[in-house]
Amino acid sequence: MKTPLKATALAALGAIAIACAVPPTPAQAQSAWAIDKAAAPLKGTKIKVMFLDRPGYRAIIKLLPEFEKQTGIKVNYEIVPYENAREKQVLNFTSKGDLTMALVDLVWIGEFAESGWIVPIDTYSKDAAITDPNLNLKGFFPLLLNAFGSWDGKVYGLPFDNYSGLMFYNRCMLKESGFDQPPQTWDELKNVYAPKLTKADKKQFAFALQSLRGETQSADSFMRFLWPWGGSLLDKDFKSNLMAPGSQTGLKFRQDLMKYMPPGVVSYDHAEAVNALAQGQVAMITEWSAFYGTLTDPKTSKLGDCLAVAPEPAGPAGRLPALGGFSLAVASQASPAQQKASWLFIQWATSEAIAKPYVEAGGVSGRMAVYDDPAIQAKYKYVKPMVESWQKGVPEYRPRFPAWASLTEIVAEFGSKMMLGEAPVDQGAKEIGTRIETVLKKEGYYDGKKKKLQ
Amino acid sequence: MAQPASRLSHGRFTPLKFLAPSVLALLAVGIWPTIFALVTSLREYKLTRPRSGFPFVGLDNYQAVLTDATFWETLARTAGFYLTVMPVQLALGLAIALMLHRPGWGAVRSLLRVSLVVPLATTYAVVGLIGRLVFNRDFGVANQFASWLGLPGLDWLGNPHGAFAAIALMDIWQWTPFCALIFLAGLSMVPNEIEEAARLETKSHWALLRHVQLPYLLPGLTAVLILRSADILKLFDMVFTMTRGGPGAATELVSIYIQRVGFRIFDMGTASAQAILLLVLTIMLSRLFIRVFYREIER
Repeated sequence: MKTPLKATALAALGAIAIACAVPPTPAQAQSAWAIDKAAAPLKGTKIKVMFLDRPGYRAIIKLLPEFEKQTGIKVNYEIVPYENAREKQVLNFTSKGDLTMALVDLVWIGEFAESGWIVPIDTYSKDAAITDPNLNLKGFFPLLLNAFGSWDGKVYGLPFDNYSGLMFYNRCMLKESGFDQPPQTWDELKNVYAPKLTKADKKQFAFALQSLRGETQSADSFMRFLWPWGGSLLDKDFKSNLMAPGSQTGLKFRQDLMKYMPPGVVSYDHAEAVNALAQGQVAMITEWSAFYGTLTDPKTSKLGDCLAVAPEPAGPAGRLPALGGFSLAVASQASPAQQKASWLFIQWATSEAIAKPYVEAGGVSGRMAVYDDPAIQAKYKYVKPMVESWQKGVPEYRPRFPAWASLTEIVAEFGSKMMLGEAPVDQGAKEIGTRIETVLKKEGYYDGKKKKLQ
Repeated sequence: MAQPASRLSHGRFTPLKFLAPSVLALLAVGIWPTIFALVTSLREYKLTRPRSGFPFVGLDNYQAVLTDATFWETLARTAGFYLTVMPVQLALGLAIALMLHRPGWGAVRSLLRVSLVVPLATTYAVVGLIGRLVFNRDFGVANQFASWLGLPGLDWLGNPHGAFAAIALMDIWQWTPFCALIFLAGLSMVPNEIEEAARLETKSHWALLRHVQLPYLLPGLTAVLILRSADILKLFDMVFTMTRGGPGAATELVSIYIQRVGFRIFDMGTASAQAILLLVLTIMLSRLFIRVFYREIER
C-alpha cells in the first residue's frame, strides 16, 4: 500500500513528466527558436548552389551577407545560364560533386526526385532544432508549392524564384489606337487589337511571342497555345492529345497570330521579346513576371509610365496562363552537416520574414502574405495580375516527369517548323505525337511499369 | 676520373624512356576517352536513370543511330555546310596567300600576316556572339552594308536560309585565314631559283601556279581538308551561340544533335555511338583526301 507522501510524490513527478511531454505552444517555440542558435553547431559549414543570372538571384545575393553573418554558414554560388543549369547540375549529381542544394525548375522536379538527387523536406522539418517554427508551408501559394516543389505527394523543394505568365503592354500605344484597357481574351487580341496595332510599314507590330528553339519554343510559345483552348500535350492515358480539337485550334490560332508579330519571331528569345516591347516595336508581349524589373529600368526600357501589366488573356477554356519557376531543395549528395545548413538557408531564403526585402531587392516571392501589403501592391504593378494568375493554374502546364527533357526537344523542333511553315500544324502535331509516344513507351508508361505522374 | 663506358652508352630501352611521357599523355587525353566512349556506346547509359544501371546492349545503340532519320538529316546538313564553306575558304585562302607571297609591301605584309591570326585566335563561342550582333535584323552590320548597297534588310537569323548563310559566313570569316596561312607556308617552300626560272619562262600566273607552286601546295591542301572536315563534324559552340540549331532545324549540324542527345536527354550510350560513327567517318575522309590529293614533292 502506498503511503500518502509517496502517492503525493508520485503524482507530482507524473505532473512534471506530463508537463515536460506537452509540446511548447507555437508562441513558446517561436520565442525559443532563433536561426543563429540553430546554426551554432554548423558554424563554418560551406554550402553550394547554382544560381541564374536573373533578378530573383541577384536579389538573394544582395541579402546573403545577412544570412552569413547570422549563421556563420558560408554560401557559395555559381551563376550559370538557364540553358546550362540542368546539364551542370545533373553532371554534378551523377559525379558526386560539390553542390549541397539543387535549383529545381518546375519541369525538373520529377527527374531530380526519382533519381534520388534531392531529399524530401520532411527529413528535416521533423527536426525542431533546425526547423523554423514559422516555416508555415500553408503560407506559400498552394499552386506554387504543388507545382514547383512537390512530386508524388511529397514536398522536396520550397518555391524560391517564382513566375507567372503576364501580359506586359504599352498603354500609350493601345491608347493611340483607341483602346483604354488590354484585351481580355486571345480572340479579342487577334481580331480587335492586333489589326489596329500592327503597322508593318513603320516596323510596328501588335504582339511578339518569344519562340526560339529550345525550352523557349516549347514552354513559352507552343504550350501557351494549348491549355487556354482546352488542349494539352497528353491525355489522361499519356497518349498525345495534340490532335484533339482544343489543341489544334490553339496551335492554328498561334499560326494566324503570327501575321501581327515581327518577322523572325522564331529566333526571339526572352531578351528579344522584352526588348521589342521596351523599345516600342511591339505593343504587347506575354512574358514571365520576372521581367518586370527589366521593363521598368530606364537603362533597359524607354517605356516609363507607358508600361502596364495585366493577366494573360483568356481562351475559350478560361484564363490558364503559363506557369514556371524554381524551388530550392537539399541535395542528397551533401554531408549531413551541409544538408542541415542547406535546409536552414532554404528556409531563410523562402521565409515570410524575408519576403518583403526579397521583393524590394527585385525577387518574386512565393509567399502570399507579402502581397497583401498595400505598399508592395502600390509599388509593383505586376503584383495584382500575378496573384490573380496564381489563384488558378495547371501544375502540369508542362509535364514535370523525367521524360520532359526528351519531349521538350521534340516539341521545340516541330513547334519551330510549324511556325516557319515547314510543317503544317496538323502534320507537325501528328509527328510530335508519334515521337513523344515512342519516348513514353520506352519509359514504361504504357505497360504499367511506371506510375502516370506529371 | 672518367665515367664508366656503360653509363654513357644508350641502352635498349633509352628510346622507350624518351617516348614514354608522350605516349602516356596521348593515352590519357586521347586513347582512354575514345575507349571509354566505345564501351559506353555498347551500353544503355542514361545518366539521369542511375537506378536502372548501365547494362550492355551490344550494337543496339548503333542500330538506333543508323535508323534515326534525324541523325541522317543532320549529317546531310553538315555535308552541305562543308561543301558550302570549304570551296570559298580554299579559294579566298589561296588568293590571300598568293597576294602575300608577292614581293614588296614590306611592313604592310608583315602586319597582314599577323592580322590573319586574329580570327583564328577568337574563341568559337565569341565568334557566335559576334555573329548574333552582325546579323541582327535591326542593328546588325550585315543589314547596314545591305542598305548601303540599296538592298532591303534581311531577317538573317529568323529565316532558315538566312541563318544557314549566317553561320557559313562566320565560319568563312574565321577559317579563311587558316587556309591562307597554310598555303603561304606551302608557297614559301618553293625554291627561289625554280620560281625565278619559271617567271623568266612565262608571264602566265596560272601556269606558274599550276606547274610550279601547286605541287608544293598539295600537302597543305590535304592537311586543310583533313583538319577542317574533323573540325566541321564537331563544330558546336559557334552555331549554338548563334542559332541553337534553329530556326526549326535549319542550322542543326550533327554536332548540335549529338550534344542534344548527350547533354539534354543524357542518353550517353546513343551519343557515344554517334560520336564513334563520326570518328570512323573522319578517318575515312582523311584516308580519301590523302589518297586523292597528297603527293610527295619530287626534288
